[in-house]
Amino acid sequence: MNGPGLKDKYCIVGVGETEYSKNSGRTTQAMAVGAVRGAMNDAGLKPGDIDGMLSYHSGDSTTSLAVTTDLGVRLNFYMDCSGGGSSTEALVGLAMGAIEAGMCHTVAIFRSMNGYSQFRYGGTGARARAPVTGNAVLRIPYGFMSPAQSFAFTFMRHMMEYGTTSSQVAHARVAHSKHASQNPKALLKKRFTVQDVLNSRWITKPLHLLDCCLETDNATCIIVTSVERARNLQQRPVFIMGVAGRVSKPRADMHYVHGPITRVAGYYAAPIVFGNAGIEPKDVDLTGSYDAFTFTTMLMLESYGFCQMGEGGDYVSGGIIELGGKRPNNTSGGQLCEGYTHGMNLVIENVRQLRGLADDYCPQWQAGVHTYDYSEGHCRQVKDAEISMNLGWGTPATSSALILRR
Amino acid sequence: MAEYQYKGMEIIVPDNDREHQGYFEAARERRLVVQRCSDCGKLRWEPGTACPWCTSLTWEWHQVSGKGTIYSYQIVTHPIQPGFSDWVPYPVVLVELDEQRGEPTEDEALRIVANLLDDQNEPEKEENVAIGKRVEVVFVDASEDFTIPQFRLLDETPGAPLWQFQAT
Repeated sequence: MNGPGLKDKYCIVGVGETEYSKNSGRTTQAMAVGAVRGAMNDAGLKPGDIDGMLSYHSGDSTTSLAVTTDLGVRLNFYMDCSGGGSSTEALVGLAMGAIEAGMCHTVAIFRSMNGYSQFRYGGTGARARAPVTGNAVLRIPYGFMSPAQSFAFTFMRHMMEYGTTSSQVAHARVAHSKHASQNPKALLKKRFTVQDVLNSRWITKPLHLLDCCLETDNATCIIVTSVERARNLQQRPVFIMGVAGRVSKPRADMHYVHGPITRVAGYYAAPIVFGNAGIEPKDVDLTGSYDAFTFTTMLMLESYGFCQMGEGGDYVSGGIIELGGKRPNNTSGGQLCEGYTHGMNLVIENVRQLRGLADDYCPQWQAGVHTYDYSEGHCRQVKDAEISMNLGWGTPATSSALILRR
Repeated sequence: MAEYQYKGMEIIVPDNDREHQGYFEAARERRLVVQRCSDCGKLRWEPGTACPWCTSLTWEWHQVSGKGTIYSYQIVTHPIQPGFSDWVPYPVVLVELDEQRGEPTEDEALRIVANLLDDQNEPEKEENVAIGKRVEVVFVDASEDFTIPQFRLLDETPGAPLWQFQAT
């Protein structure tokens, strides 16, 4: 089944990022320049080859125009959008639309954030001291404001309705930490056990510290262009099969009035993205399921149909999502371990996987030669990876998705 | 513009935000209110401009009983806001009000976020919090001009088995 999308007509041709750290010592502008330049070099593009730019931010970043000035790029199209998680996939779709409309031909999409040293995503620091207004007056005065606090009702309810346990979801951390230990770029390379997660301190029950992602300083970039242009560039193109962008639940409030509250927005996005790509979950070789929390990874895999509703606990704890398993998830270590970038790094990782060029500790990875030895300190390349999928989480009520192939 | 101080937070309700202004004015009078659509009659939460069911722009405040059931909860142990550091661990509860449960579709309800407090207006102990417990609104005067609706356990038999979080 082919949907109304633009299957295989557009490609991701370049990816780049800056160091994942807790203290970049640089502005978001300086980091964004580094990430976009990295992606241009990866693709083999010169400043004159980029004529579109998209970025997303939460009032914490730089602008497309500032970055292009530094890069010597002149734009025919740009937008700096407000958004956090699930923006990357949506902007890939917007980039395709902008090119399809004839507004530009090659779009760099970036996200730059000092998410630890300046604008803490856990919500502490300056953000916790900001005046409270608008509909936040019905939430924040109750000590209900951080992402962990905002999403916890859904997590708790999933445990109640389906018997999901802390140990089951802890396996997402275990798997992603295993993957991070094979990733020289990962901010946190240590391998964790289920017991490590359960022994870590509480943030808000049911979330332990190790159920939560990192806060990270980092910039990321991916470059989208048409298949015709992609064929002449440096890297093997990665084809965009299908995309769904910022699909929402019927009531997108944070009081969870529309139930069941364990049914997250991926439920609504799944038919769109799979319809556009003309495939089913069983055809996907690896996933990048948004791991702001261990629970979000599980909820997204469930809502996009990789397992039945309520079986997410079994799915993430059964070895399937680990390297060497049937369908590895977040092979870079994801946002729990590589770094938190509002999802862009999860797309970058899948692009590298589909190229066969996961940067691990295999001596000849740069030549695409991998050992597939997944013991600590070795390989993280998925063997014969043909199709990947990103499952983006914004909130329980907002989700995006992206299906790529080699 | 109304400006309130509560637990170190500055809460600002501009004059043009009549929904939230009316809500807190009612709380000051110890009434828990939600909007009621003047056309289709459905209640709605959280406050908004139009009816999500029939899109009508006309509405009035409707006082609810203030009784409900804990639908979900969490126990915050790591305070984000400085004003909550002497409150941890504190429960945040999602209370399903008795009015309009399962309407207009099966899993929908009016669900309000609040803290569960004891009779001293301190955070209720974790061992007393469970999904399914019956609760009732209480109005806590935070200052001379600001009253915040909160919830307290009600000595009523729950309609369904209780469920409590265990870290296993």
